[in-house]
Amino acid sequence: MATVMNFRVNYVDADHDYNNYNSDYITVDLNNDYLIWSDSLADLLTHEPTAEDLNAAATVIDDVLPITVAKCLLMDYSHDVGGSYYTHLVKGMGENKRYVFGFCFDGATATIPRLEAWDDDTHTTTAKHVLGNGTPANSFVKAVKTTSSLPGAGWAGIAIAGSTYLELDDAVLTIAKDLYANVKIIIPADYATPAAETFVLTARYTYL
Amino acid sequence: MNLYVIFFKDNTNFYGGDYKNPKWLEIPDKPIKSISYLTPLGRWIQLRDYDKYYHFIEVAMDLNGKKKGQKILEYSYLIAKKDNIYKVHKVSLQTGKIEIQHLKEEDKFIKQLNPIGWR
Repeated sequence: MATVMNFRVNYVDADHDYNNYNSDYITVDLNNDYLIWSDSLADLLTHEPTAEDLNAAATVIDDVLPITVAKCLLMDYSHDVGGSYYTHLVKGMGENKRYVFGFCFDGATATIPRLEAWDDDTHTTTAKHVLGNGTPANSFVKAVKTTSSLPGAGWAGIAIAGSTYLELDDAVLTIAKDLYANVKIIIPADYATPAAETFVLTARYTYL
Repeated sequence: MNLYVIFFKDNTNFYGGDYKNPKWLEIPDKPIKSISYLTPLGRWIQLRDYDKYYHFIEVAMDLNGKKKGQKILEYSYLIAKKDNIYKVHKVSLQTGKIEIQHLKEEDKFIKQLNPIGWR
């Protein structure tokens, strides 16, 4: 059968991998759940965040220093993990932590799985400001592979946008394997175009 | 309709699956005479007398956005090797467009392929 991938986020302890601590992870229901990048949106909300909630918790562009978006939260539509909560803080996002975003494959792949960022689901353009406004190297979205090691203190990662992507492992998968990455969003100092932009994170993989 | 048919040198055949389960790894390990491969627009690609062959499907899965969670089957790849040249057919499963490249063994794309897939 074709290899299947599950996307999981760690909401307990980002020093724990999925294999040994699977209860530390939420398997993302990609049809209903989504990630929220925010400055101050609360963990463990008992309702789905409204536009007002999101706007009130938005990151403010700094006029002197680049600013890292402080939080990534999973909006859990089923709100059935640890109580009736709609938001769960993704632990270790942007930090020197290894087990944050998990990409769990149940079999072999032909090529190395990768993480990409695009304007939308057509996977053709990267014109949005968050993706570097047409210059991938200027993408605000930084990603680092953590499958085999910590990313290091103050990790820089790769600015991902379009055909500039992150390979999630060093080699193709010959058997089932869990791959990991850490991702953060850094807004340049005094950036002139405030916006609420959406972009698409895409996992690309292959099967035989 | 089967995605491909393998004709072996011993005059037996193997019928492939579909894009969701191409069954490439189920092909018996014996010399191949030719392959007939069905493309999305109904055209057949026929490859004969190559040294070895490779096939895989490329999936994009959005983690957010309008199509989040959908497995978008974007491309299939059919590769045939003769001597040191790899003829790569990159077939768009969205448009049916076929791109053909000729790569050498040293090319990163070829070197990174999972070796279990060669037939």
